[in-house]
Amino acid sequence: MRLRGAALRPIAAFLVLVNGLFPAVWMLLTSLKSEAELTRTPITWLPANATLVNYVHAFHEQPLLRYLANSLIVASASTALTLLVSVMAAYALARLDIRFRDLALGAIIAVSTFPLVTLLVPLFEILRALGLLNSYGALILPYTVLSLPICTLVLVSFFESIPRDLENAAMVDGTTSVGALTRILLPLSAPGVATAGILAFVNSWDEFLLALSFNSASAYRTLPVGITLYQGEFSFPWPEISAALVVGIVPVTVLIILFQQRILAGLTAGGVKG
Amino acid sequence: MDPKPAVLAAVLLAPAFLLLALIVVYPVGRLIWTSLFELNLTSGLPAEFTGISNYVLVVQDPVFWQTLTNTAVITVVTVPGALVAGMVLALIANLPFRRPWPVRLALLVPWAMPLAFTGLISAWFFNSQYGVVNDLLRRIGLPQPIWFNSAVLSMAAICLTIIWKASSFVAMILFAGLQTIPRELYEAADVDGAGRLRQFWSVTVPLLRPAIVVAMIFRTITALQTFDIPFTMTRGGPGNTTRTLAMYIYQNTVSFLDLGYSSTLAVVMFLISMAVSVVYLRQIRATT
Repeated sequence: MRLRGAALRPIAAFLVLVNGLFPAVWMLLTSLKSEAELTRTPITWLPANATLVNYVHAFHEQPLLRYLANSLIVASASTALTLLVSVMAAYALARLDIRFRDLALGAIIAVSTFPLVTLLVPLFEILRALGLLNSYGALILPYTVLSLPICTLVLVSFFESIPRDLENAAMVDGTTSVGALTRILLPLSAPGVATAGILAFVNSWDEFLLALSFNSASAYRTLPVGITLYQGEFSFPWPEISAALVVGIVPVTVLIILFQQRILAGLTAGGVKG
Repeated sequence: MDPKPAVLAAVLLAPAFLLLALIVVYPVGRLIWTSLFELNLTSGLPAEFTGISNYVLVVQDPVFWQTLTNTAVITVVTVPGALVAGMVLALIANLPFRRPWPVRLALLVPWAMPLAFTGLISAWFFNSQYGVVNDLLRRIGLPQPIWFNSAVLSMAAICLTIIWKASSFVAMILFAGLQTIPRELYEAADVDGAGRLRQFWSVTVPLLRPAIVVAMIFRTITALQTFDIPFTMTRGGPGNTTRTLAMYIYQNTVSFLDLGYSSTLAVVMFLISMAVSVVYLRQIRATT
């Protein structure tokens, strides 16, 4: 019985790997096939003559680099803003023994159950009236709010896991609360801050509905919007789309490989407590 | 000189609550207000107060009911579907592998894959001529349908895609829960002669209950808002058969600029979402 369980283990692992990675691998294989090969039936699995011509087309026929830069700008700016705001809030919630702590934390977390599509309509109306459709700011502020709950939660639980002794000692020596936060607590919490930052970045990188609605002009499209709008009314230019998708998948995959332990820890804190 | 803790706390919390007020509270107030007006930006007419007449229009709108039904179908199919698939993935990921990172990476990649990318990849998978799904069906001698010409098959393809995408998130939440279950409980169950299946139902599931509830809440709320995957796979077609409520709100807002009506639809969506959250939260209170 035990022996059979152990023998099945590699098969189980193989199934999980195929399930998780096959779509991305299939896109990579697709992107390396020529258009002629892609429109041949029955289809081939491995590229007969691997070529990078689809990548050249993907960058030439659409401003893919622009989309990539837009995604990076919006995701980086909103991540930085989210971290700033949530570190401040989390410090108050974790360390200052305030009376309405649970209520304040609850209010911030409640936002995470909020349907984003209901915000779409009024934000669209406001941004349109202010002439702010098709701008980076149109996405940066909503994305900051989108990630604020999970980041605050991760940081509060991280701060609370660090003993107060060091900060107390420093404050006896005359350091202010702000000094205790920036010089003692934050350096000790670097892993927690990194986790929160990655979650915020992935949230912004993935968001589609608001990006599609607010920034549909080519110069301001983020990567998911830009690639989705590659497709014409009736046709999908699959060779270019597959190459563009691979370009879009690589950065986040690298981020995951580098930080998988941190991401899992962050989702755990958010999931189990939230 | 250190400020009083209460003052410092107010200053530190101010940006978070200012953002929430500006990006959530004010817009929601404005949303409810706008839902009481006839306001279509393409008409060029000023907003006209019409009370609840938008709500009457919503109730009489067959497309509203169709998109609501589509959304309900997606929710009812994909929430349990992703829970079962996520449980299987989590149980496998929790096996004592010598090198755990490849399996964990395979859980994280679908989680981090943008929904829009997932939808595009899936549209290519289910492509009737050049898709890998029909290639596999051909190899095992089954008929190869034109997926996106059929309402039922389009919906099936969308649901499968959502389950694939969502199961990795569910798996990670459950995986985290599994790691908190003490090994001794299983050893004790072994001594008592409980089989694997019995152990799963009597030890794993009860102890995993909080994680399961959390995953279900997030999944249900997300499923009610489904937009990206049907948008990228079918654009709501054929006809309106795979259009979700969120897609209908988007269409009324961005394409038709009918802000009064889309606000009303959004209020309805908001109420449904809140109702579901309340039901789930009651459930948690009752069990803990």
